[in-house]
Amino acid sequence: MSATTNSSSGRGGVGISATAPPPRRVTTTIRSSNRIFDGVSWVVLVVAAIAWLLPSLWALKTSFTSNGTSAVGAQAILNDWALTFDSYLTLIKGGDLWNWYLASAVTGVLTVVISMFVCSLAAFALSRMNFRGKKWAMGAILVGIMIPSQVLIVPLFAELNQMGMLGTYWAVILPQVPQVIAVFVFKRFFDGLPRDYEEAALIDGASWWRIYTSVILPMARPVIAAMSIVTFVWVWNNLLLPLFVLSNPKLMTIPVGLATVQGSFGQRVSDIQASSILGALPLVVLFLIFQRQVIEGVAGSGIKG
Amino acid sequence: MSAALAAPAPAAAIDPSTKTTPARGARRMTRTAWGFLGPFAVFYVLFLIWPVIYMFISSLFNTTLVHQGLGSFAALANYREMLGKNEFWVSMWNTIYFTLLTVPPLVFIAFVLAVLANRVQRGQWFFRLAFFLPFILPSAAIALIWNYIFTPATGLWPTIQGWFGDTNPQSVLGTPDLAMVGIALTTVWWTIGFNFVLFLAGLQEIPREIYEAAAVDGASAWQQIKSITVPLLGPTTGLVVLLQIIASLKIFDQVYLMTGGGPGISTEVVLQLVTNTAFTDYRVGAASAASVLLFIVILLVTLVREIIERASAKSKREN
Amino acid sequence: MSSPTSHRASPRFGRRALLSGALGAAAITTLNACGSPLSAGLVGGQLAPGTVQYWNLFGGGDGVRMITMEDVYRKNHGGPSSLEAATFTWGNPYYTKLSLATLAGSPPDVAVAHLTRATNLARGGLLSEITDADLALVGLSQSDFSAKPFEKAKTDGKLYALPLDTHPFVLYYNTDVCQKAGLLDSDGLLKPIQGAAEFEAALTAAKKVTGAYGLSVSTIADQATCWRWFTTLYHQQNGATEFFGNNGRELTYNQDIAIKTLEYMQSLTIKKELVPTTNDYAGAGTMLFTGKVGFYLEGEWEITTAQSVKDFKFGMTTIPQIFDQPATQGDSHSFVLPKVKHTPEQRKLAMGFVKSMLDQSLTWAKGGHIPSYKPVLDSQEYRDLTPQKYYAGVVDYVTYDSPAWYSGSGSTFENIIGAQIGLVEQGIATPQQGLDAAVAQFKTYVNTADPLA
Repeated sequence: MSATTNSSSGRGGVGISATAPPPRRVTTTIRSSNRIFDGVSWVVLVVAAIAWLLPSLWALKTSFTSNGTSAVGAQAILNDWALTFDSYLTLIKGGDLWNWYLASAVTGVLTVVISMFVCSLAAFALSRMNFRGKKWAMGAILVGIMIPSQVLIVPLFAELNQMGMLGTYWAVILPQVPQVIAVFVFKRFFDGLPRDYEEAALIDGASWWRIYTSVILPMARPVIAAMSIVTFVWVWNNLLLPLFVLSNPKLMTIPVGLATVQGSFGQRVSDIQASSILGALPLVVLFLIFQRQVIEGVAGSGIKG
Repeated sequence: MSAALAAPAPAAAIDPSTKTTPARGARRMTRTAWGFLGPFAVFYVLFLIWPVIYMFISSLFNTTLVHQGLGSFAALANYREMLGKNEFWVSMWNTIYFTLLTVPPLVFIAFVLAVLANRVQRGQWFFRLAFFLPFILPSAAIALIWNYIFTPATGLWPTIQGWFGDTNPQSVLGTPDLAMVGIALTTVWWTIGFNFVLFLAGLQEIPREIYEAAAVDGASAWQQIKSITVPLLGPTTGLVVLLQIIASLKIFDQVYLMTGGGPGISTEVVLQLVTNTAFTDYRVGAASAASVLLFIVILLVTLVREIIERASAKSKREN
Repeated sequence: MSSPTSHRASPRFGRRALLSGALGAAAITTLNACGSPLSAGLVGGQLAPGTVQYWNLFGGGDGVRMITMEDVYRKNHGGPSSLEAATFTWGNPYYTKLSLATLAGSPPDVAVAHLTRATNLARGGLLSEITDADLALVGLSQSDFSAKPFEKAKTDGKLYALPLDTHPFVLYYNTDVCQKAGLLDSDGLLKPIQGAAEFEAALTAAKKVTGAYGLSVSTIADQATCWRWFTTLYHQQNGATEFFGNNGRELTYNQDIAIKTLEYMQSLTIKKELVPTTNDYAGAGTMLFTGKVGFYLEGEWEITTAQSVKDFKFGMTTIPQIFDQPATQGDSHSFVLPKVKHTPEQRKLAMGFVKSMLDQSLTWAKGGHIPSYKPVLDSQEYRDLTPQKYYAGVVDYVTYDSPAWYSGSGSTFENIIGAQIGLVEQGIATPQQGLDAAVAQFKTYVNTADPLA
């Protein structure tokens, strides 16, 4: 995959430059233009990073200002650097915030547990076994990736209504269990695992189930961890489904609760910003701890949202 | 331990994995396999396939939320209604307009930032954090934050506009021509981290030696980016663009939370029309028809993506 | 033969920790077993059975007032846990939530509903009938309610709602401005205005004093107000027919009168410049409070905002009869009982809450609303309430929205036509364009099968 356009074809290539004589063709002009370029890059990046952090910081600042001041406007907030915890206290003491945390935690955890189990089982079968109908199953997976689940909200609601599951956490959990992309990612991972161990185990008379639990799963921990966290974030952040299937404020997940807060908090600007901070906080903490897994999972799955 | 069995055993008289004759072994294998696939298959059919089928079926009926059953047969009336309804086409256009407003910046800005971040090497964790953090936040949180920034007259945005001399700026979310731009701006802020990470991963796959070779040949940083980075990232860029388009077509959260489709219907997107029809007007059949139409559009784009991905994978193999 | 020594779990691998942590927290919360969201969420148990759950859509001044009334209920019925109230965004979002919650089987025990929307909820089977037995549970009877709203609360002859108030569109006036304009009588009240000529004369006089405009009314991002002003003027004209017939299956509005009304509204803003073309809800009120206009049109509920402005003197009265007959747009708030399996005790609790609210109608009336509960309506305290007493008589000729499944306060109908009316008032669309655009959108609704039928 040669892409260099101005190198002579004899040169270049892996390893050669490591022992090449000092670059004679890199003139001072190029070196200084590179330095300017790097300098500009730094400035651009830092400015962009600050611009990107600003909105969250602004929300944070507002949440620590009193409601009265924030209602007046941005200028007033910039002038007032007294910190109050009133908004946070209001939210923590009263209201439904804890119920929302509960709903998000329960639905997130249960979805992840069930989904990772179910999806890894399926991926394992697709990766390791030859069976009748395998082509159909593989085809179904590929088709499944193409189905945009948000568009199915209406028939899904009707279906959940008929199953009597509306108004329970299961209405949020069960539809999010079949994560086709997880099957895809797991299968790709399993395909890359060496087959030696399981063949030894097979010869020794182990069942597929034992192979799955004792051989494959331990090796799959990193990818399961990554997909678990990504799925958890996805479930936590899902608005569309819980918005319509969980209408009672006591059962709402965080995003749905935050959505209703706008209507019910009125002019309490600081409270609203504080609630958005608190609603996002668990995920931010999760991200800071599991940064690597999240980013790996996101990059690996390549399709989210 | 395992060395003796390094080579996978090809089809032998006794298949080690089933320990019996091929025929009976195959049947047992099939049973086991479907045992493993079963749970997923159940969820898959119940919550992915059946809704699709039901969506198509109910689109042909006057199904309502408040009555049992499918309702009276409507044939193509729901489709005629949707395709003949100004609101439907406006929402289609709004969705496409949103896509046009967000995809180019999301791809271009993420690309530039990733290239620069990859070049400066140090401090990458900081940039990754800054750009990716918003992506972690729930849509509801970012909508509250940006709604607040866009508060007419007193929000941060009009206040900053005031610093630059515009003393009576129009309300971004309250002006039909600006509302979608405001939502697009929020979306770019929110999701750029995702593309940034994808591009960064793609960039890190390019061996440093190629750059060094080019540097030896006298290429400046800018030239290196132009001739090495951009072409090599072509496939990743293509993938990101298509992913972004598909995600934009499914837009719902930010619009619902920030403008509710207003002012008027100037920011109403297709998914909102669908949910309004189904849940406010109780008309599941009509909403299903609109869903089918959106579904087809997204499917077409997804197919394009699949084809391109196959083609690029094939060309990668051939190289 | 052996299984390979597995990957040591990396120190940062916290999946198990996460799981057990979250499940542990959930388990602890389960100790509050019955009635907790966990049991409701996982096994469909009932949420907080001994507490009354109440949803409303009151924000702003009304919201604060309602909270005061709720607190009185809590005080008299055993403390904070006796009532759980939730407020949602006014209009379609509220009614959608209420409907979906009822369908899911977990609605509130009591909910507020506009009478124009309650009919549709009832027709959709989402409300439970309020029988005479229910009324007797808390000592109420039919005769305790004003006739007109009570009739409207019935659907197909059955009672589904208990009216709390009627809230009409009214005229506010800035006392200082009107005094200077010579529009007040010796008592400091607005001299009666009759007919279009007198109306415009009053506006012109006010405009002279303010140097800006005569009257303000919201025209931007406020479909409801645009509709209210339009329908008030429309129904004041002879020959004005209902907008819909046959429950929304026919368009029966009078084309000429509708155009005439839009032309009149546009003449006030564009031609005669008596009314500013662009004002949002808050802006229109502010103009009155700061003396930039002499008059302001909005629902009576803005009295709370007006009273909160320091040193601001104002009056309220019915909208003048500008055309042939008196008419004013209005709607009524009512209490409904969403359909759910209730034990007799829960039913009694719910009715008890409604009774408590009705008993506090005077508090509610201080927010501008006209009580439907006769014992308060006929009381001396209410009759003395100023400036409410100057428009209380409007109840007899208030016009409600024509019944249709897509009609009612905050409905799609109001949103569609309100948006067009706003454009006409702003001069962006001609009356014919605006009306045509709205009617074109209505045609789809008229032609679609009634989902509630």
